[in-house]
Amino acid sequence: MIPAAAHQEVLAVVGPRGVLDRPEDLTLYEYDGSVDKARPDMVAFPRSTEEVAALVRIANKYHLPFVGRGAGTGLSGGMVARAGGLMISFARMNRILEIDLPNERVVVQPGVVNLDVTLAVQGDGYFYAPDPSSQRACTIGGNVSENAGGPHTLAYGVTTNHVLGLEVVLPDGSIVTTGGKETDQPGYDLTGLFTGNEGTMVLVTKVWLRLMRAPEMVKTILAIYNSAEDAGRTVQEITARAITPVAVEMLDGLMLRMVEEATGAGYPLDAAAVLLIELEGLKEAVEEQVEQIRQCCAACNAREFRIARSAEERDLLWKGRKNAFGAVGRVASAYYVQDGVVPRTQIAGTLRVIGEVADRHGLKISNIFHAGDGNMHPIIMFDKHKPGDLERAQRAGEEILEHCIRVGGSITGEHGVGMEKNEMMGHLFDEASLAMIGRFKNLFDPECRLNPGKVLPLGKGCMEIRQRPLSAASEI
Amino acid sequence: MEILHPDTPAGLAEALAAAGAARQRIRLGGAFTKNRMGGPVGPADAVVSTDRLTRVLQYEPKDLTISVEAGLRVAELNRVLAENRQMVPLDPPFGAQATVGGVLAANCTGPRRRLYGTGRDLVIGMKFATLRGELIQTGGMVVKNVAGLDMGKLLVGSFGTLAAMAVVNFKLIPMPPETGTFAQRFETAVDLLEARDRLVRGVLQPAAVDLLNPAAARRVGLDGFVLLVQAGGNRAVMARYASELTRAEALDDGIWERVREFTPEFLGEHASGMVERRWSTLEGMRAVMELKEPVVARGGNGVAWVYHANGETYRGAGVMEWGPEDGTGRAAGWPEPGAELDVMRRIKNMFDPAGLLNAGRLYGRI
Ligand SMILES: Cc1cc2nc3c(=O)[nH]c(=O)nc-3n(C[C@H](O)[C@H](O)[C@H](O)COP(=O)(O)OP(=O)(O)OC[C@H]3O[C@@H](n4cnc5c(N)ncnc54)[C@H](O)[C@@H]3O)c2cc1C
Repeated sequence: MIPAAAHQEVLAVVGPRGVLDRPEDLTLYEYDGSVDKARPDMVAFPRSTEEVAALVRIANKYHLPFVGRGAGTGLSGGMVARAGGLMISFARMNRILEIDLPNERVVVQPGVVNLDVTLAVQGDGYFYAPDPSSQRACTIGGNVSENAGGPHTLAYGVTTNHVLGLEVVLPDGSIVTTGGKETDQPGYDLTGLFTGNEGTMVLVTKVWLRLMRAPEMVKTILAIYNSAEDAGRTVQEITARAITPVAVEMLDGLMLRMVEEATGAGYPLDAAAVLLIELEGLKEAVEEQVEQIRQCCAACNAREFRIARSAEERDLLWKGRKNAFGAVGRVASAYYVQDGVVPRTQIAGTLRVIGEVADRHGLKISNIFHAGDGNMHPIIMFDKHKPGDLERAQRAGEEILEHCIRVGGSITGEHGVGMEKNEMMGHLFDEASLAMIGRFKNLFDPECRLNPGKVLPLGKGCMEIRQRPLSAASEI
Repeated sequence: MEILHPDTPAGLAEALAAAGAARQRIRLGGAFTKNRMGGPVGPADAVVSTDRLTRVLQYEPKDLTISVEAGLRVAELNRVLAENRQMVPLDPPFGAQATVGGVLAANCTGPRRRLYGTGRDLVIGMKFATLRGELIQTGGMVVKNVAGLDMGKLLVGSFGTLAAMAVVNFKLIPMPPETGTFAQRFETAVDLLEARDRLVRGVLQPAAVDLLNPAAARRVGLDGFVLLVQAGGNRAVMARYASELTRAEALDDGIWERVREFTPEFLGEHASGMVERRWSTLEGMRAVMELKEPVVARGGNGVAWVYHANGETYRGAGVMEWGPEDGTGRAAGWPEPGAELDVMRRIKNMFDPAGLLNAGRLYGRI
């Protein structure tokens, strides 16, 4: 509950049209793209850094928990207001502040949508490299907080490799700038520390990004397989032969059929798996690499090898990939996406394990993922109306992540730990390492008001959360 | 003075804990090639060296990852990797002696950062030892990983003021089939920067785009304002560079060793020499290139090093990255830190409340 006085103070900062607090409005702010939900007591929509800082000071004065929100596309419950309180939405801080092509930089407010950055500069031959599949909706602030990846981060690096500076509001309400347009400023790399903090240490109010020059040539390939393991082996073969595609995405048979029905991208309906491979660079390099990839695919029993002949064909192939989750929604009433990472040599084996887990729990699990860097996205489908089904799906997800840890991988490659995998952190890190993360949290947020109950196992962070989250079970 | 040489990561943590408990001021290092860097280095009661932490713990050529102890020399690391035509392209100064931990702690970077990035981009995981005697894990052995806070970023460039890196995991880069080096010479800094602009605004993707002013060029056997480019790729790609970089002279790749070792050679000649690091946007590099002192710059990144024979020519524009060992003339090593310095000090205080670790490093500000 927000005290009336706090309510008045929030209104004084953002105005009556900058607040939502009716229950029917708040239900829209209960969940992200994952399966957990919890209701904030109030959502405020600041327009400036100063307003954000003022809101944080109010939260402190009235001892309210607070949490930042981008577009709510997160897949680990990152923005879910686990302890209620004030949600600070960055939807109105959505301006591109400066485009500086000669210096390969762009400066944005956190609510700018990822794709809009590239759209603003592509006419001049530049692009912003990190391209989460949710890029039409997700925000740069959310990307920075989660250290988002995407298909093309295989070659170009994830968000942290493209963020050069941040303006942040600390949980005590002070405003600090780290880095900026220029690299190599002296001192600790606070920008690097804050990127990927999952919205638990700072609120991001301004971001300096690196732009890249668009490549001369792009070739998009669809390789089609009768066995998912052969597709997995191809990824290994590509890495072993030192070929450097910019993206290698894999879709398994179940996913292909769902995607094809929804988008008509031209994927084969009877295949067991496809790889979507993209090569970029100088014409002379790309042409050679297409041939090398063709050889890899043939050596791994690909039954067909198609190269997109036009920009339209290429866009269609990617449309199928990027709209995949929507396609799942047409088939299953609910799904649960995992984000484990394995060394690239372990992809084929991991797909086998995922199949076994699915059989054991009587669930359908489909795979669509960033194969080039070993970042698996098993999509576990379940019936949200069937008692116990969600729990079975979560159990299956945990078993898959345990496998990822066993083979030397990680429980999350890009979606974050959030409130979904926080209890698994203890399987990946020892006590001392978890305690160190807790010390950082405590240094920045000693009262544990900013986004409590995330990342660390409950009881290991600074505050016990009593409220049990409800389940939103991915309404789609 | 006591010199400790722990030979396991756990031993490193124990050494730090013991010295910390005895409230000894600790000087932490690998090969100690950087005693003149980031200082002035403060007094110490004990020296902890990582020089016996030299094992390759896990090398997965097919996954393009490696895990090594922090005292391994970067040159040795790259020798091991070269057997599989792989590399960690950091190109640090003191390339023959410098250790992985030292290079990362000082955030030494090199010419090829335009394409491959710096330490912060190549490290995928780390174990570091704290004064409490803990070994903290961050990141792991996969190239994509967001589980937990990215504390490795903080350790890179921290000059050993927070904790001691014990184990570092890298992602690896395949060596290009061929490489080539091209030099273009110009009369003025303006012409030089125009050529740089044409290059970085075009579709070529060189690994290195370095700029040398005449005083620096002379030191490596060249003349004029020089745009020095390294590129990699197949034969056709290399031919493309040769044709697009008009009037460029093809040089032997060996020139890069001279560029990489520019700082050590200069400091070797000048006991009171200083090397100033300046940072700017790409457009903001003209003034620094026009200085009379030797200047070597990463033209694709906006970072320049100015070589002063002594303190008299330093005007406090950048940070004094290297200076005389005794610290003379370096009062203003880091002229104008902003509000973020306070956050940095709080972090330092969390790791090392008594200020025992590598006192003086980070330009005496931390
Ligand atoms: C269909 C689909 C596909 C996806 N594909 C990918 C993918 O390919 N790669 C990938 O990495 N992710 C992917 N995601 C996950 C998600 O889109 C990313 O995590 C994204 O970065 C979240 O951005 P957002 O703006 O929606 O943030 P939200 O979900 O609103 O918030 C995410 C976290 O950031 C915090 N936050 C948001 N803004 C701020 C701010 N300004 N200051 C401080 N904290 C803030 C929140 O508190 C929360 O902890 C996908 C999601 C969907 C639904």
